[in-house]
Amino acid sequence: MLLSAFALSYLGMMLLCLGMNRHRSELLRADRRVPAALILRSLAAVCFGIALWLCITSQGGEIGAVIWLCLVMLAGVLLALLLAWRARWVLPLMPLLAAGAALSGLW
Amino acid sequence: MKLRQSMAGLHTWGGLLPSWLLFVIIFAGTVACFDKELSRWMRPALHDGVASSLGADDARGWLQQNVSDELHAFWMHGPTEREPYWRLGWEVDGTETIHNVTFDPRSRQATPMAETVGGEFFFKLHYNLHAGDVGMYIVGLAGMFMLVALVSGVIIHRRIFKDFFTLRPRANGQRAWLDAHNLFGVVGFPFHLVLAYTGVAIFVASYMPAAAQVSYAGNVMQYFGEVMGSYHRDELHQPAGKPVSLDALIAESQRQWGGGEVGWVSVHHPDDASAVVDIRRRDRSRIASPQDTLTYDATSGELLNRQDASTGYRAYLWLAGLHMAQFGGTLVRLLYLLMGLAGCAMLIGGLQVWLAKREQRGDRSLPWVRALNGAVFGGLPLASLALLWGNRLIPTGFAERAVAEGWVFAGAWLLVALWSVLRRQQGRRLLRGQLLLGALLALVLPLVNGLTTGGHLLASLGRGDWALASVDLFLIAAGLVCAACAWRLDGAGTPAVIRRRSPRVQEA
Repeated sequence: MLLSAFALSYLGMMLLCLGMNRHRSELLRADRRVPAALILRSLAAVCFGIALWLCITSQGGEIGAVIWLCLVMLAGVLLALLLAWRARWVLPLMPLLAAGAALSGLW
Repeated sequence: MKLRQSMAGLHTWGGLLPSWLLFVIIFAGTVACFDKELSRWMRPALHDGVASSLGADDARGWLQQNVSDELHAFWMHGPTEREPYWRLGWEVDGTETIHNVTFDPRSRQATPMAETVGGEFFFKLHYNLHAGDVGMYIVGLAGMFMLVALVSGVIIHRRIFKDFFTLRPRANGQRAWLDAHNLFGVVGFPFHLVLAYTGVAIFVASYMPAAAQVSYAGNVMQYFGEVMGSYHRDELHQPAGKPVSLDALIAESQRQWGGGEVGWVSVHHPDDASAVVDIRRRDRSRIASPQDTLTYDATSGELLNRQDASTGYRAYLWLAGLHMAQFGGTLVRLLYLLMGLAGCAMLIGGLQVWLAKREQRGDRSLPWVRALNGAVFGGLPLASLALLWGNRLIPTGFAERAVAEGWVFAGAWLLVALWSVLRRQQGRRLLRGQLLLGALLALVLPLVNGLTTGGHLLASLGRGDWALASVDLFLIAAGLVCAACAWRLDGAGTPAVIRRRSPRVQEA
């Protein structure tokens, strides 16, 4: 649950990031097209929503919400730090997190 | 624009002046997330993870045999997962001083463990700076300043969403630090705001005492009693009869709750016929602690009262619980720890912005601000490490051992402060020296721990005792980070590399 929620929070932050011109050029080649910022932002909101739902179903409303908020904030900090120093890792980290979440789900 | 300008002034000065104090509070609070693990590390008797087989009556028996003063109250807490031992505290009648003792879980009789300040040292530093009520008010004032700085910071930040992910370590000094300050402040904003607010709210009755004083004609205890729905019985000044078994009352309480866990057990004026036993319920599955205390007559064991807390008090407890992070297990504490480190980074970033802005003008006050930075941002983590060294190296039988540990902490901090003042003109050399010292202290400490106790890292890892191993592992990680930063600082030719955010805050 934890890793899935964190992966989703990270994905949400990444989508928000891709919706900003400055960061899109850091992450993708100039000729790659991405959906409009509004669509990316809505997708990000959906990701955050699913992450919240995951946290609440596994930890209860009170504690789940606290954990979710912390996860979202930490995902944002991690993404910003990666963007500053290791921008090339930003996109590959996402499938890694997803794989980790899937593995921990199976296990 | 008028508002933004006035807020900028407020943010600069209202943020700068309390920022060193806030660093102490936030850093200590961050460490205090794992205070109980630290306490275990600091008590070698707990290293093999044996759970205590003592009962509440054994603890009371020790008190009756060893303390002859008339007591105002005593209280005790049984073994829990994080603290597998009995704790006992008491207050002698007519004095305000509190005594504490902890019992060795390996022993079948109640045997006190060697004194230590334990991880509570950081908890206390966090909420009152070890300065009693005065310290509590100072911390409260700093917390209010933090709220002011947070709100004014949002108002003066022009591009809060546009710069959300922006961090440009290769930009010039002021820009890079402003990015860092903004990043940790804005992304961590909900955490900082909630923690600052709930932190101030915990002592709200002390910060705003007027209403209770007036409505209850100065009898504040009655106010607290009514709000909490707790039971109070005045002293009769007659000798007490033979007290009933505490363990039996604990078992009875668990039956009443339908099998809940027991928290604090306290006895008020135990030497008087009016003595009462309070048994609190412990429940870590909710944010607010449960208010379900049962009060018994200490002689007959008759149930006198079942706590009925007011709704307002329950709401207050929810806020306090949110701050204290005793719910949700290790995960929540770890998240709070990381967010707390983000808070420390925000403070350091903010001060560096202030410095960088004035460096171009060559202010005369700069060396002193740098000295203060070195004394607090470097001094507190180094002094904390020194405290752990003291804990390992002061002999077990040393009289007033906990006090000696406190002096090690204070002495180390004073030395670092002096060092920072002497080196105030050479900021880089000072920082490098502090990082190297931090690396040395943190990396050798697990070795010292292994040599002085049986609870070395390999043993605790071998047992799968992660709670204990995590302290050593954290020290090693912090030491490596310090060493890496000192290394970079050393080989840094270009200013861009030097300006990286200093991870000094990650020491603990």
